[in-house]
Amino acid sequence: MTEETSNPIREAIKGAIADNPVMLFMKGTPDHPGCGFSARVAAILESLDQPFAAVDILPDPRIRQELSALSNWPTIPQLFIDGELVGGCDIVSEMYQSGELAQALGLEETPGEAATEPGAEAAQSAPLTIENRL
Amino acid sequence: MNPTPQELKDRIEAGIPGARADVSGDGRHFNAVVSAPAFRGISKIAQHRLVYDVFGTEVGPRIHALSIQTMPSEEP
Repeated sequence: MTEETSNPIREAIKGAIADNPVMLFMKGTPDHPGCGFSARVAAILESLDQPFAAVDILPDPRIRQELSALSNWPTIPQLFIDGELVGGCDIVSEMYQSGELAQALGLEETPGEAATEPGAEAAQSAPLTIENRL
Repeated sequence: MNPTPQELKDRIEAGIPGARADVSGDGRHFNAVVSAPAFRGISKIAQHRLVYDVFGTEVGPRIHALSIQTMPSEEP
């Protein structure tokens, strides 16, 4: 007796993804995360001063079922930027560290700020700086 | 029965052609570092999906958490 034709939960998830440029599905809330992985992604967005919408998937197991069916991604958290799944905790953490996340969010890095003239103390030390190009 | 890191490693290497995997974990939370030629030229999302797809619906209920790091490798 289930009505397969109308699926309000899936429609609500689609709506949330469409309406919010930065949309995080997580366990718990940004203030009270229910899982370390969700906590980390929320903390990363907050550290970038990035406003985001968050949905707690815990209150109803159908939210997670429908979300994973929709996104073809089995785990929580899931971060969407401009309607596209960006990833879970691993990918978001990697992108944060490489600076790709700030780019994807349209937070312009200010090139030059970090590239100031090396100080005198740097000039005296051995030139062992390794540039990480990964 | 809890899955073991060895089981996850074997299944990833069997499921993704040419893959090499290092897996650590405590039976519930796992960390997998996987390299495979199949990762070349596809997005991170797609790379991680290939690994998740090895385990299908076991991710969540049986494998509580699977943390993944992927890197493309040369053709074998």
